[in-house]
Amino acid sequence: MTLAGSHNTKRLLLSTLCLAIGVVYLFPYAWMVLTGFRSALDTLSLRFVFEPTLEGFRAVIGDSIFRAYMLNSIIVATATTALVLTVAAPAAFALAHLPIRGTGFLLFVLIVRMVPGIAILIPIYLVASRLGLLDTHGVLIVLYSTFNLPFAIWLLRGFFCDVPGEIREAAIIDGCSERQVFLKIMLPLTSSGIVATGVFVFIAAWNEFLFALALTNNFAATAPLAMVAFRSEYGVQWPSIGAAAFIISTPVVLFAVVMQRFLVRGLTMGSVKG
Amino acid sequence: MLATGRPALPAGARTAQAHRRARVPLEPYWFMAPAVVMLATVYLGPMIYAVMTSTTHWVLTEPGSETIRAGLQNYKDVLGAPSFWQAVKITLLYTLTSVSLSLTLGTLLALLLDNELHFASFFRSIMLIPMVITPAVIAIFWKLLYEQEQGVLNSLLMALGFGKVAWLGLEYAFFSMVIMDSWQNTPFFMLVILAGLQSVDGNLMDAARVDGANVFQRFRYVTLPHLVPYMLIAAAFRGIATMNDFDKIWLLTQGGPGEATTTITVYTYKIAFSSFDMGRTTAIALIFVVIVLIASAPLLRHLFRAARRQA
Repeated sequence: MTLAGSHNTKRLLLSTLCLAIGVVYLFPYAWMVLTGFRSALDTLSLRFVFEPTLEGFRAVIGDSIFRAYMLNSIIVATATTALVLTVAAPAAFALAHLPIRGTGFLLFVLIVRMVPGIAILIPIYLVASRLGLLDTHGVLIVLYSTFNLPFAIWLLRGFFCDVPGEIREAAIIDGCSERQVFLKIMLPLTSSGIVATGVFVFIAAWNEFLFALALTNNFAATAPLAMVAFRSEYGVQWPSIGAAAFIISTPVVLFAVVMQRFLVRGLTMGSVKG
Repeated sequence: MLATGRPALPAGARTAQAHRRARVPLEPYWFMAPAVVMLATVYLGPMIYAVMTSTTHWVLTEPGSETIRAGLQNYKDVLGAPSFWQAVKITLLYTLTSVSLSLTLGTLLALLLDNELHFASFFRSIMLIPMVITPAVIAIFWKLLYEQEQGVLNSLLMALGFGKVAWLGLEYAFFSMVIMDSWQNTPFFMLVILAGLQSVDGNLMDAARVDGANVFQRFRYVTLPHLVPYMLIAAAFRGIATMNDFDKIWLLTQGGPGEATTTITVYTYKIAFSSFDMGRTTAIALIFVVIVLIASAPLLRHLFRAARRQA
């Protein structure tokens, strides 16, 4: 009885501590969200009590540039996700189940993953400008897709490896081709892994900044660049910046919370159980 | 991840597999072809182009200069420039401090979260938020917090009776950058290490308890050794990502004041889009690739071994 009591007390104390840490930890984010609901006069003050207003959100949503950048982000991130999954899934299936020597390729893919973006930015910039591809959606989609391929292949390979090889063998004996095995058996069996991978790719493409900054101007510019535009355009219009930050970060936050189960596995390319 | 291995197959299946392998040995490679083509086009092509560019005196504002051969002159210039080594130093310091800080905090949080708690999964979920928010957004709102005159942090300090701090001034800008990055990445370490904690062998723990080990001894001799691989993996992944960080630094400080927060990525970007000296910029970028690859070699080796075990 007393033992159970002290156990419960400890649990309550630790839970409270946890909650306190969470509150302090998320203070910066909370502050940003609150900033979006303040009036311009209310920002840059420590008053916690203020009259919420939607001025900031109205200013941002009414801004045609912001809307265009958001739309660009949706187009680029969605197309990137589709392209990555289409290209990475067959490769991952082959590496997990087909009789090939794939370890060399896996290592190559990893080395490629470690190459800093800034290192290939300049040559890509030069090539894209010669081909007249600067400031297009296409160039961002192809680049983001390729950057995310290594990660997607590794992650998907893990999911395909979880499917027992006997299932494939049995289907082959029944007369399926490898393509049919892949499309009709493997894809349905790994669908949750594919969705998880897609979400990761979407988040990465949505958040990318460096290549969007260097390769786009205003036609294909993406949402993160809107933050920069807002800062210079509005000076210290913090409510607009807060509202924009909130709108831009909300999709990735929602995705992350939904995908919590896969997050560790994804971020470490499956090298650690999650 | 489950290691499926290749258990013994029924005899019929094995011959079927051998049969297929003999008949269409190329088929599996078709599954990989699109990925190979994309990776080669976007990575290998530009890399080769970069190597060629780095041996020219190409400055974008001087038409025709791309044909002027420079040999290894650009590399000599870069390696001889104190500003380059300063950027290398800042990059390594930034990576080391940020990773160790978030590793420590993440471990502590994971140990806390490993207890039976109310709302544990809710807590885990909200801690994911910093990890995934758009870095451009993070940088802008941390800049708002660091604002010197009326920013939140300084207002808090004033309210508590301390003086104001020039967060983004010469003295503190580096630490402000580290704090921002650690804030974002502590939850990542927390999650990885929590995964490690939850896979600690319960029997081993019971045995240690029976042998009379106290809570610290159990941590030191049972839990910690088990966690080390998880810590190393997480640190390696974050370390490489932190070395490559650009967005947050660029939007928080643009590398300043002076060169206080100029990492190699910021340095490369500045040189590229201020001097337009393509030869020198690509030389810097390629030297940076070598540095990152050397730094990531242990991680590559580990992942490669893990993949081979699984296959």
